[in-house]
Amino acid sequence: MSAATPDHTIPTPGDHLRHADRLARLERVWANAPGLAGQLTAVNHSTVSMRFIVTGFAFLLVGGLLSMFMRLQLAWPGLQVLDPQRYAQFVTMHGTTMMFLFAVPIMGGFGMYLVPKMIGARDLPFPRLSSFGYWCYLFGGLFLYSSFFFGSVPDTGWFMYTPLSDATYSPDKGVDFWLIGVTFAEIAAVVSAVEMITAILITRAPGMDLRRMPLFVWAMLVTSFMIAFGFPPLILASILLEIQRAFDFAFFEVARGGDPLLWQHLFWLFGHPEVYIIFLPGAGVVSMVVQTFARRPIVGYTWVVLALVATGFLSFGLWVHHMFAVGIPLLALAFFSAASMMVAIPTGIQIFAWLATLWAGKPWLRVPMLYIIGFFVVFVCGGLTGVMLAFVPFNWQVHDTHFVVAHLHYVLIGGLMFPLFAGLYYWLPLASGRMPSESLSRSGFWLVFIGFNLAFLPMHITGMAGMPRRVDTYAMELGVQWLNLLSTAAGFVMAVGVVAILIDVALCFLLGRRGVENPWQAGTLEWAIPSPVPTYNFASVPQIESRYPLWDNPEVIAATRRTDGLLGEAHDDRREILGTGIQSGRPEQVIRVSTSTWLPILAAFTIAVLLAGFITSQYWLSILMLIPLIGLFLHWVWTTGDRHAPVEIEVAPGLRLPTQASARNAPGWWALVGTLLIDGSLFASLVFAYFYLWLNAPVWPAGGATVMALTPALVALAPLALPLFASWLGPAALAAGRLRTAIVWQAVAITGGALFLSLHLPALWAAVGAPQVHAYASVVWTLAGFHAVHVVVAMLVGGFTATRIQCGYVDAVRSLESRVAAAFWRYTVGIGVITWAVLHLFPRWV
Amino acid sequence: MSRPPRMTLTRMCAPYALWALHFLTLYSLQGLACAQQLWRGRVGGLELMTWVLWGVTAAILVAIAWEAWRAWQIRRALLASEEAGRADHARRHFMVVLCLLGAAISALGVVFTASPLAMLQTCA
Repeated sequence: MSAATPDHTIPTPGDHLRHADRLARLERVWANAPGLAGQLTAVNHSTVSMRFIVTGFAFLLVGGLLSMFMRLQLAWPGLQVLDPQRYAQFVTMHGTTMMFLFAVPIMGGFGMYLVPKMIGARDLPFPRLSSFGYWCYLFGGLFLYSSFFFGSVPDTGWFMYTPLSDATYSPDKGVDFWLIGVTFAEIAAVVSAVEMITAILITRAPGMDLRRMPLFVWAMLVTSFMIAFGFPPLILASILLEIQRAFDFAFFEVARGGDPLLWQHLFWLFGHPEVYIIFLPGAGVVSMVVQTFARRPIVGYTWVVLALVATGFLSFGLWVHHMFAVGIPLLALAFFSAASMMVAIPTGIQIFAWLATLWAGKPWLRVPMLYIIGFFVVFVCGGLTGVMLAFVPFNWQVHDTHFVVAHLHYVLIGGLMFPLFAGLYYWLPLASGRMPSESLSRSGFWLVFIGFNLAFLPMHITGMAGMPRRVDTYAMELGVQWLNLLSTAAGFVMAVGVVAILIDVALCFLLGRRGVENPWQAGTLEWAIPSPVPTYNFASVPQIESRYPLWDNPEVIAATRRTDGLLGEAHDDRREILGTGIQSGRPEQVIRVSTSTWLPILAAFTIAVLLAGFITSQYWLSILMLIPLIGLFLHWVWTTGDRHAPVEIEVAPGLRLPTQASARNAPGWWALVGTLLIDGSLFASLVFAYFYLWLNAPVWPAGGATVMALTPALVALAPLALPLFASWLGPAALAAGRLRTAIVWQAVAITGGALFLSLHLPALWAAVGAPQVHAYASVVWTLAGFHAVHVVVAMLVGGFTATRIQCGYVDAVRSLESRVAAAFWRYTVGIGVITWAVLHLFPRWV
Repeated sequence: MSRPPRMTLTRMCAPYALWALHFLTLYSLQGLACAQQLWRGRVGGLELMTWVLWGVTAAILVAIAWEAWRAWQIRRALLASEEAGRADHARRHFMVVLCLLGAAISALGVVFTASPLAMLQTCA
């Protein structure tokens, strides 16, 4: 909205001038810098999320193109469109692209765009992190695809099973490109999880307590927790396999005590929750679209929230149903079979809630609703074949056949793509300010819907007839060639549909008819935002009193566009968002966030160079890159606080709130909690790996290693008591205003950490020897190394905090950084004690 | 009567966490039984491990019931409160209902997971 636009909601001419002045100031403070530099440095959530969405669709086209070649190859038995190796490469890259570079990031992009708008926030609490995530995603994706230029395309399947993916059977760099590229891109998912958890918990508009949160926001909250717990097992597995390939460790190699099934466990510990990580945001979209087009509140809001939370938990008990054929005892399979059926219950609750909403409402069949109907048909079919696959005997029968291909595409395209397109058309008028072409939109839907079903429905039959998946051809004797030809032809129809949709969306932005605001008459807060969407979303942070503020109190629209409400004034020309209580949604703090900066892209680029050095075995380059990387991150954290920031700010007449450095529920605190959840999941996965390797080992310790004698082990552990004490006494000294003492306690903690490392690691070497000898030594050194890295990071954090206290950034009132450092030390000592017990007590006990 | 405990997000999710603990315990103990021959002796016609797994199941169900009972107590206190109808009150009630429903679905999950114990030997 221009500063000169007359606004008749402002009562007096004097107020209007002041309003125009404030609005112009908000525009200036929140604007991205001009030109290319402005684009590269932008951190605003609307800008960054649009990039996620556009890049996600670009990867969809690339991944789709690969599948077109695969379908051509399978159109008839014995074709030579792709040779077997190229086919394996395309299968691998298609799955990898769709899962890691399309499905997860694009839903993250939708969440990043919509969540702040739905909860009445101006931005996400860590804008630089959003931008950093995007660059990691882009560079990670490009890193993976650069394998085509080097002739080393990954070809062992998107699940990278060992031993096929180890250095013996895949000696070229393809697997390395996969492991490094995918892990690099996953940084985007995990940082966005931290950001979403923090944003949803503490930056909702005043009045938006938990029972008033839009269901899409609930879905994103549950999804973010699932990412925090679900992604680390894969990250760990990728790290283990990469260090096995690069440094000859032995986690998955049978001859040296390793176990290939460890990879499968870790992969599917991620892989099955991943399905729901993709589906739950889709379910959130369905809830939003259904209630709007049924023109009534959702039926069973509490039940839908219950279903989202229950699915989030239950989805972690399903992973072994991907491993029914590996030889696990029947009773264990039955546990997973039962859980796999159980998860149908919360999903069913949601389906019935949506149907009941449509039943009780007055449905309006516009394009988003068409996609919702498509979703119902396709997803329910996929869900039902999922229940079939949960039966162990049936699963064995169709294992590794095209029946599974049909099932997973029904679930993923039904659960993700149909809701995604529904959401795309639903929020397009908000993002573009224009309406898409109704005829082209409907044509796109029918092409996708008919093409999809004709392509994948026959695969149920071809699979049951015995047609294997991941193989470049099939026997004519199976008699499935005509069905395959149909699948191929229909696949092209679907591809035309997807391209039509993307052209329609692009044309909408360029040529679409300028629409009215809130064309669907929706009730949630994002539709209160004017179009084009201002970079600050709301001129005043709204105060709400119901689940559907626009339906129950339309006055809220005008209130959010005036500048006489909460944070209508941009203090000190800083970007500010409002922090509120986790449950209650009461105003608690003012959060000052970053403006545009080069730091995210530079940090991501430095990591890309570091990883390029690693994959080419130029380790000197990787080590060299650590210097600018640490420098960039230090600069990043140094600029998070402001020595001159006021302790309190008046956010509205009579309402003064603390800034985040002195607030209890500060975003930095919740970022730490989110990070430690992720790190704790990583650590738990590593401990699981240790015990899994022990479970099937005839002796433990193995490979000639011994257990460290108890006395030196205890002596090595003792120095960790110093940081533990310091983590209590340091903050206490700070709170009492004794800054010098607080600095001394940081130094004591650092000394304790250094002593621990210098005592523990040499003694461990003497007892265990080189990590390459046996899987025992590999996993012991990885555990010890994991903890050692934490100690080093904690020492850096301690040194940083001491410097900040010295320089006046941290004091008795602005104590956030000291609290974060103390909590990180306690966590480090905690995992240290567990690691110590696993390494030095458990082998004695067994 | 003592003041009822507050309904927090952690407490709201406790029944699911108990389901997860049950699932993890059953799967881990079953693995130990088959790989390390833990508690394979027969007692009362069943393997000792089967008794242990049933015992774990019973203990977890009791814990879920206890969480549900606490949520029920909070609900009763909320309904009896003079502040009924206020936004804070409604929000707490919402969380209590979520906890109770979560307890029901978690208990169902625990029974579902344990039901194969009635049909299969530990290392079948």
